[in-house]
Amino acid sequence: MENTQLSFEQILNATVRMLRTTWKAKVCLFLQLDDHGDLRVRAADGLSLEKVAALSIKPAEGPFAQCFAKNRIIEADASTPMGILTKLLKPHIKKGQKFALVPVSGETRVLGILFLGPFSDKEKIHPREAELRSAGALCAVLSAHWRLYEWMSSFMPQLNHELRTPLTAVQGSIGMVLGGMFGQVGNDVKEMLEMAQKGCERTVRAIEEYINTQNPPKK
Amino acid sequence: MKVLVAEDDPDIQVILKMVLTRLGKCDVTITFQGDQVVPMAKTHRPGLILLDVMLPEMSGFEICKALKADPETNSIPIIFLTARSMPAEIQEAMKLGALGYLAKPFDPMTLVGQINEILAPLGVSIGA
Repeated sequence: MENTQLSFEQILNATVRMLRTTWKAKVCLFLQLDDHGDLRVRAADGLSLEKVAALSIKPAEGPFAQCFAKNRIIEADASTPMGILTKLLKPHIKKGQKFALVPVSGETRVLGILFLGPFSDKEKIHPREAELRSAGALCAVLSAHWRLYEWMSSFMPQLNHELRTPLTAVQGSIGMVLGGMFGQVGNDVKEMLEMAQKGCERTVRAIEEYINTQNPPKK
Repeated sequence: MKVLVAEDDPDIQVILKMVLTRLGKCDVTITFQGDQVVPMAKTHRPGLILLDVMLPEMSGFEICKALKADPETNSIPIIFLTARSMPAEIQEAMKLGALGYLAKPFDPMTLVGQINEILAPLGVSIGA
């Protein structure tokens, strides 16, 4: 059977491409708030992701701050200061055109921003707010998925290690005693140690089943 | 055979020392410090290095890379013996030039046999 599994990065990029095409825009970016409170571009269409992935945008001022603080769709034109994005967007925006900044809202806070445009100044953005909010909601799901993926990628190998290390000492000691390295043991002791060894083996199987086989989407 | 073991867990150090000495008939040197492995490999000239991944100061992957990049140590066979056994981690170790990969927990009574299976293509063994 053909392997059709997409990497998480591919899913994100396909989503922003779909949104850009649907809205007949030149650029669509999905910016996610990282642990340091900075916005990072996680997916881009219309701009090279390589160019923008390393950018770190402080959402403390300008249209980003408004979008965050008010959880509102903000329109930004060519004259709006957009920090380090200004230079990159310059070739894509003409006078009188504007970008839409759509809040990607989670249950309790804004998780990021969907950046879409440019649109002509005649284009009415706010009557289509529900559509844009839905696009933002889709990105919120992807944002949560991304977070979970990041967490699993670091937590699972660590958990695997933390469980296997003490088990090595337990199983190793039991194995050496049962293997006769310290002389023969009585039948009762042997029976008890075999029981402990089976318990260790069962735990190892559980680790293999639940942790080692957890394959989050490829990055 | 001289074996250098890089392992930071004191209990596992005891088990490895006992197994490799008694069953493997090896001359075992152990370090818990990652950044000591390359200098010790140059001093002790071991015939085999057993390497954990999670070590203080320098990871097993970094050590393997450094050993393989150094003409003085690049011919020493390296076997990873580690609890980091996710498929991507095994691939990474083999890509760096390790001869083999053994996952913890291991059975002490069959460890020598497992090591010898990995060493077989080189025509060397321990325990004889």
